[in-house]
Amino acid sequence: MTSPDSLNSEAGFARALWDARLPRPAGVIGRAGRPAADRFDIHRNNIFASLTAALRARFPVVVRLVGEAFFADMAAIFIRRHPPVSPVIMEYGGAFAAFLKEFDAVGALPYLADIARLEWLRHLAAHGADAVPADLSPLARLAPSAMAELRFTLHPTATALSSAYPVASIWRANAVAPDLQPVLADSAGESVLIVRPHRQVLLLDLPPAGDVLIAALQEGRTLGDAAALAAARDLDFDLTLTLAALFRGGAITGFAPGHSSSN
Amino acid sequence: MNRRTAGLAIAGSLLSALALSAAPAAAEGTEKCYGISLAGQNDCASAGGNSCAGTSKIDYDKAAWKLVPAGSCATTMVTLPDGSTRAGSLEPIGS
Repeated sequence: MTSPDSLNSEAGFARALWDARLPRPAGVIGRAGRPAADRFDIHRNNIFASLTAALRARFPVVVRLVGEAFFADMAAIFIRRHPPVSPVIMEYGGAFAAFLKEFDAVGALPYLADIARLEWLRHLAAHGADAVPADLSPLARLAPSAMAELRFTLHPTATALSSAYPVASIWRANAVAPDLQPVLADSAGESVLIVRPHRQVLLLDLPPAGDVLIAALQEGRTLGDAAALAAARDLDFDLTLTLAALFRGGAITGFAPGHSSSN
Repeated sequence: MNRRTAGLAIAGSLLSALALSAAPAAAEGTEKCYGISLAGQNDCASAGGNSCAGTSKIDYDKAAWKLVPAGSCATTMVTLPDGSTRAGSLEPIGS
């Protein structure tokens, strides 16, 4: 039944859920036809509580850095500004990092938005498509001249994140290390590879411009071209360490020799 | 650097990276915890007994491990069939 009236009341119901200052919608009744304002309030509270719980689970290091109470208040503001756009709660929270970047109250923690980006990418990797890492042993038998012409297929969950802040060190110190090691927030920026080759999401350190190489490989460029792009970004680009991170992380699911131009 | 020497540098990096990658990366924030997994729910191999994930035959097999959040193994308590309790162990539990 979608008469204009019921549409209006649905929209009004939804608006009242998001804004507690609005009157509760008419027609919300409980047992014996009595108005059920309390029940409406409970429903509203459940929405905020469940979305806050989803954010807390998705951004545990952000929670730890700002504290539970602050996070809950911040989440309430975020949820009002960015209500879910999908009915799938797994997809909620993608706008959180951008929100943190603009949120004045966390201005003293300039790295917080990048920590949220890292946690969001870990979340996406956790729920991304499965794929089997390739057996790389045949690579060693290729002619050296053919190696620069290789094109790699990267794992669907593989993403590189580059930050002006030591995001991986901060994340590890708060998520993993049982004995907390201090991290200097103003030490050098870090790049990481996030990938989930099997059941666990991995976080592997990348050298500077490692993210450039990975992005170029994802675009389908040859290893030689991708390495040249990364070296253009960082003169001391370390190809070995970047490839080792990709290989150790199971981030390569296929490779093709490519069309060599030399013969 | 001409095209040929650049190609050789790439080949060198690739081979070094393969050598560096003999051991796959392990998930951070987890540790192998022995003696706490239910039958059929272990994560991987143990010394003898079973070959890999999901193949342990008995509850709380002392030689079967499960990945748990780092630091939590020693405080993970299980109750054995005889009613006694035991914490998880980072090493296989001797008899």
